[in-house]
Amino acid sequence: MNVLLDLLPSSVKNLPTFMDFEGQKRAERTFQVIIVLFAAVGFVWGYICQQFSQTIYILAAGFLLSCLLTLPPWPMYRLKPLQWQKARVEPTEAEVTAPPSGSKSNKKKK
Amino acid sequence: MNTFLSRANTIFAFTLSVMAVLTFGCFASTFLNDNLAHVNIKTAKPIVKNMPDYSVSREKNDLGFITFDLRADLNPIFNWNVKQLFLYLTAEYVTGKNVINQVVLWDQIIKRGDNSILDYHGMNPKYYFWDDGNGLRANKNVTLTLSWNVIPNAGTLPKVMGSGSHSFAFPESYASNHF
Repeated sequence: MNVLLDLLPSSVKNLPTFMDFEGQKRAERTFQVIIVLFAAVGFVWGYICQQFSQTIYILAAGFLLSCLLTLPPWPMYRLKPLQWQKARVEPTEAEVTAPPSGSKSNKKKK
Repeated sequence: MNTFLSRANTIFAFTLSVMAVLTFGCFASTFLNDNLAHVNIKTAKPIVKNMPDYSVSREKNDLGFITFDLRADLNPIFNWNVKQLFLYLTAEYVTGKNVINQVVLWDQIIKRGDNSILDYHGMNPKYYFWDDGNGLRANKNVTLTLSWNVIPNAGTLPKVMGSGSHSFAFPESYASNHF
């Protein structure tokens, strides 16, 4: 799978695919409101024309609309990305095992 | 909610839950209907014969023949929670052998959208009117009623007897078995 993903052109690979936390919350609220709204309208309309299938079709329309609005990570769900700290420059392994000689000599003097 | 697939799963599950609530609402909106209707039944030409039903035994039993007229308007029963009606015409009578005898003579399925105003004349029964003995000859009181099952989209399966019945008598003597 990863081999296949590596074959994609870089323009595709660079597409953002994430939602930030605020965006996830908004997406969930959005589809809940849409589906419940379509369900309520569908129930009333189905009752008026006495066809329960109409209710189900209207609910299916709400399902498709909410899929379109919340499944792809649209830019509106990426407005508040997390502010990560800058990566610290880790000391290399040679520096950790062998500290600078200058500091050693200072300790000995004390 | 952080990946495409987890969002798809959540939306789908939520939609199914909402659909279940809607279906229950459809059931609840029709739960109190009585599904009643008035039925006019008439019969003509009652004949009774005494002949063996070889599919059961060689013994001779009473076999009744009638034709019937049926008039009923079942349109008010249909609503958004009724898929079809299953009608059946029952003959009920008392014999010396049994206190209750019930024989289904005819049935019919009426789907929603079919003609639900019944107006039949001179119908022959679909099924044989066998008695399990000799209880039909000179039986003074055979009562025909029409009942129906209401087949819903969701909910209970009501069984209703239409108001209006018809009683008739079978003749005193057997008709000849020569057709």
